[in-house]
Amino acid sequence: MIYLRRQLPLLITFVMGVVFAGQYYVPHPRSELMLTEVTKWLQIIGGFALVLGVTSLFHLHAVKIRRREPGWGYSIVLYAGMLGTIAIGLWVNGKESVNGAMTAFGWIYSNMMVPLQGTMFAILAFFIASAAYRSFRARSREAALLLIAAIIVMMGRVPLGEMLLPVSGDLTQWILNVLNTSVRRAILIGVSLGAVALSLKIIFGIERAYLGGGRE
Amino acid sequence: MTFAERMLHIDRRIIFLVIAVCTLLPLLYPVGLAIKVSPEVRGVHDYLESLPEGSVFLLSMDFDPASKPELHPQAVALLRHAFKKNLRVIGMTLWVTGTGLADLVFSQVAQEMGKVNGKDYAFLGWSPGVGALIITMGQDLYKAFPSDYYNQPTRELAVLKGIQSLRDVNYVVSLAAGTAGIESWYVFGKDKYKFELGGGCTGVIAPGLYPLLRSGQINGLIGGLRGAAEYEALIGRKGRAVAGMDAQSATHFAIIMLVILCNVFYLFTRTSRGQSGQPRG
Repeated sequence: MIYLRRQLPLLITFVMGVVFAGQYYVPHPRSELMLTEVTKWLQIIGGFALVLGVTSLFHLHAVKIRRREPGWGYSIVLYAGMLGTIAIGLWVNGKESVNGAMTAFGWIYSNMMVPLQGTMFAILAFFIASAAYRSFRARSREAALLLIAAIIVMMGRVPLGEMLLPVSGDLTQWILNVLNTSVRRAILIGVSLGAVALSLKIIFGIERAYLGGGRE
Repeated sequence: MTFAERMLHIDRRIIFLVIAVCTLLPLLYPVGLAIKVSPEVRGVHDYLESLPEGSVFLLSMDFDPASKPELHPQAVALLRHAFKKNLRVIGMTLWVTGTGLADLVFSQVAQEMGKVNGKDYAFLGWSPGVGALIITMGQDLYKAFPSDYYNQPTRELAVLKGIQSLRDVNYVVSLAAGTAGIESWYVFGKDKYKFELGGGCTGVIAPGLYPLLRSGQINGLIGGLRGAAEYEALIGRKGRAVAGMDAQSATHFAIIMLVILCNVFYLFTRTSRGQSGQPRG
C-alpha cells in the first residue's frame, strides 16, 4: 500500500517533472506531439476539477440549509440559481444566441449576470472613496510619500488632471514606468525563484504535502 | 468632539452621494476634455496599423461582465480598427463567464462594419484549460477548437484558410481583467510560438503589467477606461470610453479633494491633541 500511496505518486511526479521541464528545450516534432497529448490530459483533469468544485459547493450549502444556519435562505437562492441555469444551459446547448436570436440562457446572462456583476464592480468606486477618506492619512513619512504618489497618479490618469497640472501626466508615466516597474519586477523575480525552488522540491520528493495526510 | 473630529467621522453616505453626483453630472452634461495619447496605447495601435490587409489578428477577450465598463470599449475600438484594416480576425475568450459578452461584441461590431462570420472573422468561443489550451492552439488550432462558437467546423471556415496554429497569427491582443489573461498568453503562447503580443486590461491590474511592457514581452498596453478613450481618439471614433472620461475626471478629483480634506482634519486633530497633551492617533 505504501508503494501505491507514496512511492508511485512520487515516481510519477519525478518522471513527469523532469521530462516536461526538459521538453521545453527540445523543439523536435515528437517532443511537441508529446506535449500536445499531455495537455489534453490537463484539460480533462480540469473538467474533473470543475465537477469536484460544483459538488463541493452543493454539499456546503446543503449542510447550511439542513442545519438552518444563519443566511440559509441565500443557499436556497444559490441552489435555485445554479440548478435553473444548468438546466436551461443544457437545454440550449450552452448557447446565448442561436442564429442571432437570444436563447433563455442568453436572457439569464444578459439580464441577470451582466447587470449583477456590473453593479458589484460599480459599488467598488463608492467604497474606495469612503475608504480613502477614512484611512488615507499621512501618519508617517512613508504614508505621506504614498499619498503624494497616489494623488499625482490619480491626476495624471484623467484629462482634467493633465489640463490643470500638465506635468502630472509625465510624472505619472515616470512613476509607473520606473518606480512601479522596478518594484514589481523585484517582486516577480522573488516569486518566480520561490516557484522554481518549490517545483524542484516537489519533483525531487522533498515537498510531499500534495500527497495528503494519513498513515505511511 | 471638535469640528475636525466630527468631519473625520462624517457619514459615509455623504461620500457616496458626492461620488454619485460626480459620476452622473458629467455623463448628463459632457465637457469633452482633450485626451493625450500615451506611448503604451500607441504601441498597440501602431502595430495593428502596420499590419497588411489579410493579416491574422487574434483578440482574446479574457474578462467577465464585471469588467465590462472598462474592457468592452477597448474591445469595440480594437475590432473597429481591425475590421477597418480588413484583417482576418479571430475571437475567443479564456473566461467562460465572458463568452456571451464576447459573442455580442463580435457580432455587433461585425454587423456595424459589414463583416461576415466565417469569411471575415471567426468567433471560437471558450474552451477549458487556459495554459493547456494556448499550448494546444500553438500546436494545432483545429485540435483546440474543432468547431467555432456557432458549431461550424473550424477547418471549413474561409477566414482560417492557411492558418494551422498560433505560429500563423500575426498579432494577439488579450483584454484581461486578471488571470487568465495577458500573462498566460505570454508564458504559454508568445514565448513558445513567437507571435507579437499586446494587451489591454482594467485600470486596477495595469501597474502589475508594466514589467512585461518595459521588457518588450508585450508591445503595448491599453489600461482601463483611459486607455480605451486613447484608442478611440487614435482611430478617430469617439465612443463610450471618451464619454466616460469626464465622469472619471470628476470622480478622481472628488477622491483627491476628499483625501486632502481628511488629511487637513487629521492634522488639526493631531495638533489640538498635542496641545492638550492627549496621545496622538
